[in-house]
Order: sequence, then structure tokens, then C-alpha cells
Amino acid sequence: MLVLRRRAGESLLIGDDVEIEVLAITAQGAKIGVRAPREMVVLRKELKITEQQNEAAAQGLARSDLQQALEKLRSSSKIDPSLR
Amino acid sequence: MPSVDTKYFGILPYREEAVFEFPQGLPAFNEETRFVLIEMPENSPLVFLQSLRQPELCFLAFPILVADREYRLAVCRDDLEALELDGGRQPNLGSEVLVLALVSLHDGFSATANLMAPIVLNLKTLRGLQAIRQDNLYSHQHPIQSYSPEVVC
Repeated sequence: MLVLRRRAGESLLIGDDVEIEVLAITAQGAKIGVRAPREMVVLRKELKITEQQNEAAAQGLARSDLQQALEKLRSSSKIDPSLR
Repeated sequence: MPSVDTKYFGILPYREEAVFEFPQGLPAFNEETRFVLIEMPENSPLVFLQSLRQPELCFLAFPILVADREYRLAVCRDDLEALELDGGRQPNLGSEVLVLALVSLHDGFSATANLMAPIVLNLKTLRGLQAIRQDNLYSHQHPIQSYSPEVVC
């Protein structure tokens, strides 16, 4: 990973079209400004991760496999059988 | 009574008062704004978040303390306000909000829970959203090795 030190008010360029500016740095975090073509998607990484994780979670499983999956979940856990 | 076609349980009746509204949908599922929570004693503590719009869309979830009994909630102010909660403090689990971790199943039925972005449901106003944490204290793929059935939240 390329690592650069930037102060508030300084920016960096990615290619010809993208500028990332450090607007302010506070104890709560850095405030970043992004100048990029409108068609370019800019996302917080954790939002992208959440989207991908939701898509994986939505796969679920076939209805016929539900009971088997539940059994596996239970057997892999320390669940007390009397509480099933 | 209205009914919903569900992914796992066929057609089930539900009460309008049991519908959670997600005004912003969920990341990757922005059109899905209405879900019902399905809890069945035989599947406990697993619960199901069923879309009212799409029968095939049903998330498996654990109450967050089942996935991690030490879990500390950290919902940002914007999300608290979108949930119609006091923006100045974290809500109480169980009495004010129900918090769920979505479960993903992987090959061989190993499972992970998303503790980085829990589903937070306001029990009073029936508003819900997925509250992505601003810190990096919890994984989006927390392995489920043991869970505590006696914890209910």
C-alpha cells in the first residue's frame, strides 16, 4: 500500500479525474472530500462490505435444508439439549 | 388478517403491528422496506427476518447477545435519530430495541454472524435499520461456535 502523509487542506490525485482532499482532522476522525466524475461510485468501505455480507446472508439455504442446518448449528455449539 | 408467503414456512398470517419498517431498506436491498420477524420456539434462538415484498428474501438472524454475550452496542447519532430514538445515548437492549445479527451460512453449514452491522429494531415505533458501526471492534464475519440459548434480548 502506498502511504502518504497529508495535512488538512492538502490533497492527492488518482489518475486524471479523482482528487481526494483532507479537509480537517479532528479527534473524531479525518474529514475527507472527494472530487470525482459523477458516474464514479464512491462508497464508505464498510457499506460495501455490508452490501456483500447481506447478499451472502440472503442466500440462506433451501427450505428442505433448514432443519439440518439448525441441527449443525446446535451441535457445533455448547447449547444445552434441554433448552432446544 | 393479512398473510405473507415466507421462504421457509409457507404462508403465515401476521399482524400489521408486527411489521418493521425500514425506510432506507438494507444495504444491497434498498427496495426492501417492510419485514416481519418470525420467531418459532423450535428454531430458537434463531429468528427469521422475512421480507413482505419478496417471499424468497428471508434473513436468518441471532439476537446479538446470543452471537456475543458481551456485545456493546454503538449506534451512531444519525442512525439513532433515523430510528426515532434519543440521539444522545445508546438504547437499552430488550426494552427499547431488539438487535439482531444477520447470519451467513458457508460451505458445510459453518455459520458467521455480522456483528459489524447489526439490525436495530425500535420496539416502540417498529422502525428498523442496519446500523453499520463506525469503529472496527467487531467482525462482519464473526464465527458462531457457541451461542447462549438462555440469553434473550
